[in-house]
Amino acid sequence: MKTQTPYPQGDAFHASLRTRYRVATIWQILFLSALLIAIVALTALLYKVVDGAFGYIAYEYKDDPAEFTPTPVNELTKEELLVILKEELSSGAYNKLNNEQPMQERSQADLLNLFLERLVRIDTKGTWSMTDSLLHKAEIQAEVKEKYSNAKLEFRSWLTPQFLVTPMSSKAEFAGVRTAILGSLWMVGLAILFALPIGTGAAIYLQEYAPKGWFTSLIQTNINNLAGVPSIVYGMLGLAVFVRTLEAFTSGSMFGVTDSNGRTVLSAGLTMGTLVLPLIIINAQEAIKAVPDSLRQAAYGVGATRWQTVWHHVLPNALPGILTGSILAISRALGESAPLIVVGASTFISIDPDGPFSKFTALPIQIYQWTTLAQSEFHAIAAGAIIVLLILLLTLNASAILLRNRYQRKY
Amino acid sequence: MIRKTFESDIQQVKDEVLALGSMVEHAIIGSVEALKKRDIKAAEKIIAEDKDINKKRFAIENQLMVLIATQQPMAHDLRLLASTMEIISELERMGDYAKGIANINVRMGEEKLLKPLIDIPRMAEIGASMLHRSLTAFVQEDVAAANAIPMEDDEVDALYNQIYRELMIFIIEDPKNIERANWLLWVAHNLERVADRVTNICERTVFIATGEFSEIKSSDDEFWEKQKKNK
Amino acid sequence: MQNSPSYAIESNDLSIHYGAFTAVKGVNLKIERLKITAIIGPSGCGKSTLLRSFNRMNDFVPGCHATGELLMQGQNLYSKDIDPVEVRRKIGMVFQKPNPFPKSIYENIAWGARINGFKGNMDELVEQSLRSAALWDEVKDKLQESAYALSGGQQQRLCIARTIAIQPEIILMDEPASALDPISTLRIEELMQELKKNYTILIVTHNMQQAARASDYTAMMMIDDQRAGGVIEFDDTKNIFTRPKDKRTEDYVTGRFG
Repeated sequence: MKTQTPYPQGDAFHASLRTRYRVATIWQILFLSALLIAIVALTALLYKVVDGAFGYIAYEYKDDPAEFTPTPVNELTKEELLVILKEELSSGAYNKLNNEQPMQERSQADLLNLFLERLVRIDTKGTWSMTDSLLHKAEIQAEVKEKYSNAKLEFRSWLTPQFLVTPMSSKAEFAGVRTAILGSLWMVGLAILFALPIGTGAAIYLQEYAPKGWFTSLIQTNINNLAGVPSIVYGMLGLAVFVRTLEAFTSGSMFGVTDSNGRTVLSAGLTMGTLVLPLIIINAQEAIKAVPDSLRQAAYGVGATRWQTVWHHVLPNALPGILTGSILAISRALGESAPLIVVGASTFISIDPDGPFSKFTALPIQIYQWTTLAQSEFHAIAAGAIIVLLILLLTLNASAILLRNRYQRKY
Repeated sequence: MIRKTFESDIQQVKDEVLALGSMVEHAIIGSVEALKKRDIKAAEKIIAEDKDINKKRFAIENQLMVLIATQQPMAHDLRLLASTMEIISELERMGDYAKGIANINVRMGEEKLLKPLIDIPRMAEIGASMLHRSLTAFVQEDVAAANAIPMEDDEVDALYNQIYRELMIFIIEDPKNIERANWLLWVAHNLERVADRVTNICERTVFIATGEFSEIKSSDDEFWEKQKKNK
Repeated sequence: MQNSPSYAIESNDLSIHYGAFTAVKGVNLKIERLKITAIIGPSGCGKSTLLRSFNRMNDFVPGCHATGELLMQGQNLYSKDIDPVEVRRKIGMVFQKPNPFPKSIYENIAWGARINGFKGNMDELVEQSLRSAALWDEVKDKLQESAYALSGGQQQRLCIARTIAIQPEIILMDEPASALDPISTLRIEELMQELKKNYTILIVTHNMQQAARASDYTAMMMIDDQRAGGVIEFDDTKNIFTRPKDKRTEDYVTGRFG
């Protein structure tokens, strides 16, 4: 006879085991459904974006292309287009275009766009989403035929290589995101130029030098809290400090630039830099913390000073982590729109930013601007711009991951 | 108590040493008893049993080696195990003395004892008792007892001297007695050595307990000094 | 106050405090030149703290400070005009876990020399240090490879080589073999016997057999009822392990502590 045990034996044990597995299964299903909901939400978002970026467009020519040239639109050569534009455009308009980029240097596609935009003047009658275009092709064709007898109907991808390199335009069909991309890059570049050295420096000081005490922890707590402050607050700060107070600096008047006010890409960059500064500091601190103490002690043990230890060992080993953090901070800055609106990004600008004192716009601003317009073709290019923004962000995050893996911790 | 296993292993070794000691005791008393009765069969049995004593000694030695190798004894433990190694070898040699007495008994054959044995059994009794108490002192690490026991060696030495003189008189009376006197002298000498070895055990006990090596008393030296004086 | 020339370093009522808490109290140790001195004792008795106080490694611990004197050639290493960097230059340290720099084997040794302003032939120094640490033959063909490619035992010997490259007078070893396998451990102990021809070695270990095997002198530490550690017995290693005077040492070395 076995001695009495407080644990279930035999069948009772198997029964209790079955119960345990059942409970586990229920939880597993719950977790799986949470994941599925997340996937569905993400898919819906992507679908919505892609859905808008492709689809049918119905348009008419306000002036018949045949009035300008006997050649069909699709077969026009660069030379023919040059001649037509030179003849038909007003000399003022032609010179302005020529100043932006000499006509001879422009591509055939560019010239064709100019021809269609300025001379033939396309008039969009309607756009349809990708889903509609694919599922209700016949109905759309019937509708267009009935309503706009002269209209051409074609399936169009709003996201084209052309879209990336074309500046802003008031006509959606000819608008691009070049100005916005360049504006975003300038802004992010300035932001990181400002925030990376300062953030890293602050992190090094906090981690390696600052004496532990109430003052240091106060600063630390503040930095942690600053990372959670709504971005619009940074916009207000940027407006007050960079746009207004430091206008002489941010407008460039200090350096002899005259045609500008404080609402420059520099102000935006500094504002964004301030916004990501806490993130960079916290990230750099984590990276520095991750450098094992044994390494510092090894350096001190052979008679290194604190500075030598930090410069030769702590910093090089923390650098991949710091850079990874910075890239993620860049992604954050790239996606922000609220502070830019406050700081004064232009909503319509077709001139590329060419320096820190330029006026600028940024991708999120551009997207926001387009979605607020009534015409459906602007919603379509907004969708295209969103895809561009998403790809940019994904690329940055991917490079952060690559960097992290490439310099996987050696110790 | 940490190291319970080690503690109980040590206890076991001590028990084994006591068992070995009682075998040796038995052999000493028995060998003299057999001689007194001129019982050759009993003497042969003691010679055979000496093999068991040797076997037991090697068994304990092995046990000690295993403990030293596996438990890495330090300080007191180290002193105890190392000294026990020494003590069992002393015991084994005491067993050899008993065997020697039994051998003399066998070699004497049909020959009668030169004289009835009185002092020699007395020596054996005292030696066995000292041995017994020295091992008790060892097990209990009783420093006072360990220091006192060797003093009784004087009595053994006195008895030995007495026997020596008696036997010399027999030899002088009649040189034909030389061989038989010599046998008894041998026996007495063996018993005297037993008491000396007990002194060694006591010295070890003091070392185990205190960590100090102290020569309690060399009865050997005293004996030879006395011999010198007697000349 | 001048310490006797036969002592490499000498502590005089040295106490180490963390804020208001005294971790190590009133240590008086005279460390003999060119000998190996082991510090043993149960966990938390402050032996590492004491060891680290010898090259002022504790300076990095917030709130940690020392009182009393630590004399090296008549100079108190804790006096105001002594720079801890200078102390660490004279008193090298080998740590519990092998901690080579994430650099090449060569650079591991050269770095310490370079930052200390070494002006001699670097290749020679690297070879000499590796030879002294009994590592040269194993690594001479891969000096430019990462130190992390070495085994744990080799890494620890590299750390020793790195320490002797800056030619300290004393080498502190904080449980240098606790992360190593038994063979590597014995190798380090053997190396210590070589090193003691030129260096005074102070080693903390909780491996009593190691202290017994490798050291000439042993200091036994124990905490008192205020949880402050102190040296309760300091003697020849052979005495400590065969006939300790203090009952607590006896209990500790025979494994009956606690």
